[in-house]
Amino acid sequence: MRRIIAQARKDLTQLLRDRLALALAVVLPVVLTALLGTTISLTVTDIPLVVQDLDQTPLSRRYIDAYRSSLTFRIVALPIASSPETAIARGRARGALILPEHFEREIRRGRAAQAQLLVDGTDTNTALLVQGAAGQITRAFVQQLPGDAPAPSVRTATRLWFNPGREPRKFYGPGMLVLSLSIFPTVLAALAMSREGEQKTILQVYVSSISAHEYLLGKILAGMVIGMVQCLLVLGLMFTLFGLRLEGDPTPLIVGSVLFLFCVVSFGTWVGGAIPNQAAAVQGVSLGGFLLAFLLSGLIFPIENIPRSLAWISSLVQARYYIVLVRDAFLQGGGWPAVWWAVLMIGVIGVAYYVLAWLAMRRMQVKA
Amino acid sequence: MKAWASRRFGGRFWALALKELRQIRGDRRLAMSLVVPPILQILLFGFALDSHVRDLRLGVVDESRTLQSRDLVSAITENQTFRLTGSYHTAEELGAALAAGRLDVGLVVPYDYARERARHRPVTVQVLLNAANANTAQIAQGYIEGAVAWLNQHPRGGLPAGARPSADAGADGQSVTAPVQPRARVEIRPTFLYNPGLVNTWFIVTGIFGTLIILNGSLVSGATMIREKERGTVEQLLMTPASALEVITAKILPLFVLLMGMVGLVLTVARVVFHVPFRGSLLLMLVACACCVLTGIGIGTFLSTFARSANQTQLIGFFVNPPLAMLSGALTPIEAMPRWIQPVTLLNPIAYFASVARAVLVKGAGLDVVYLQLLALAALAFGLVGVSAWRFRRQHS
Repeated sequence: MRRIIAQARKDLTQLLRDRLALALAVVLPVVLTALLGTTISLTVTDIPLVVQDLDQTPLSRRYIDAYRSSLTFRIVALPIASSPETAIARGRARGALILPEHFEREIRRGRAAQAQLLVDGTDTNTALLVQGAAGQITRAFVQQLPGDAPAPSVRTATRLWFNPGREPRKFYGPGMLVLSLSIFPTVLAALAMSREGEQKTILQVYVSSISAHEYLLGKILAGMVIGMVQCLLVLGLMFTLFGLRLEGDPTPLIVGSVLFLFCVVSFGTWVGGAIPNQAAAVQGVSLGGFLLAFLLSGLIFPIENIPRSLAWISSLVQARYYIVLVRDAFLQGGGWPAVWWAVLMIGVIGVAYYVLAWLAMRRMQVKA
Repeated sequence: MKAWASRRFGGRFWALALKELRQIRGDRRLAMSLVVPPILQILLFGFALDSHVRDLRLGVVDESRTLQSRDLVSAITENQTFRLTGSYHTAEELGAALAAGRLDVGLVVPYDYARERARHRPVTVQVLLNAANANTAQIAQGYIEGAVAWLNQHPRGGLPAGARPSADAGADGQSVTAPVQPRARVEIRPTFLYNPGLVNTWFIVTGIFGTLIILNGSLVSGATMIREKERGTVEQLLMTPASALEVITAKILPLFVLLMGMVGLVLTVARVVFHVPFRGSLLLMLVACACCVLTGIGIGTFLSTFARSANQTQLIGFFVNPPLAMLSGALTPIEAMPRWIQPVTLLNPIAYFASVARAVLVKGAGLDVVYLQLLALAALAFGLVGVSAWRFRRQHS
């Protein structure tokens, strides 16, 4: 035990002397989480929309006003003598609303008036949002038409749970916490380990009386201490900048965070041990830590959309489970019954990485 | 002009460029890192990233247990957006399942649903949405409201008349005696331009393309620049009569050729594997790619003038690359970002490249549409290369 702590202290001292690594450890997680968590969102408001009103009647103008007053759209002027299609092609507008002649007359006669909506389909998600919002506006418009049909017989009362304001940052903030914690502790651990291999200081470890497990645990402990600091800093950000509160039982989050840090630091140590070259090790980590955490964890896009052939990789990515855990702690508050399996999986993957790190270390010793 | 060019970039320049080329040829890992990671990344991103909202898990509490209520459920689950995963007895059970993350959407149909509908009185069904993911919630809400609105307009439900047992006619009496009243409606007909099938991969691949060029370009150029510095051979280079600009250009040229080869590979994958349409001019696209490659090289060179060792360049890359990739509109629309950050994207080459790539490949736009973005990209490229040449000379003088 004493040796483990001594090894951890040595690694921490080494880190404190390296200014770049220290900045990487303390400043960057906070900055990155704050920046990306607040800026990433798929929900576009103020979508520029051009309108071509061929009817020019009070009713058609009222219909257009309904779009103007919605938060989703922003009506931009259609330049004279240009078609709505060119406005979309030039990127001035994401959509075009075209009201035909006799729009008002058709409505007054009780026939279906048809409005055409051209949507820029390049951004598919935004296109769907535009379609949905236009449908909502149209339905609301029809309902307030004077002296018309009875109110629809089925109504929906929608209640938005867990994030009633539909604020994207409450969803992406915890996600970016996970991303930060999957990148930075991992990179630091990989650097610390590969440096020993690169500079051959690992030979000193072999000749000392410290055992492989003690050495690894010491390194991982040091990495976890740094990770803890990062975790607390970023958690502080969750409570302040992102306006989140812990819902329900905080123990799954605490246990899960400790296990997750063990997991990512072991992963970093493994990569660092397997690749005794700092630059290459960082590249390996950025591929494994960043890319996989980013792609296959449900960070931005739903995990259910990953095709089956890739889905099995996703179940090996620790960030996928941690994201479930963090979002549950901050938004849903399901507690242990909802997330016990995620905590368990993080632990299992962590142990697997530890074993891999130990094997890599043994192989290094054979080579040396 | 010609005389100037030959004086400036004469045999000396080509000798330097040849030296770089030989050095790169000897480096098997560099060549590999130009081919394998980009292809792997574009395949992974293209297949794995999909913002499409589908297969949301729907739980139902059907207190009515009638044909009408089942009509409602089937109207909602008709397309791929919702998948019925469970029925619950009480709203509390449904709420618990929602909180535990076993459901995304809950629907509560009241016990008097069929009766009220038969009497043509308004009836309210409750929809519970897990809004943790704001985007999914908004699209799901749009779908449910659309389905309900459709049901209101077609009171007999989606089933053809014959499929319904005649005993039901009494409950639905009104609509039998008086078929659909001609009532005022406005129909909105959406048409999706450029991507009528809303294939999400086109958006992702065109967005990721620029990110790949910039990331790999900056990585590779940073690595080759820093190598001279690490080994101390940079002193020898500066001792030659070649100017800093010549040294830098000679270093950039072979990298540029290699990276353009990578661009060709990625374009092929985009076309063959992901079927991204190539509607615009390929030449225009290649010009944009060339500008983007130069920008990537510029970023790598620029960063390498700050770093002392290879791993420092890599670490500095961590400060630059994730924000660059995420704040580019490549994966999430720029318009969805907060106002104050949007001007920052004006400095982001990936943002320009993504909009050019989408305009040219998917929309089939010409130079008259994209010239501004192209100019900005070129300005960024030459600005970065110029600044790094200047810093390169300064740091060693």
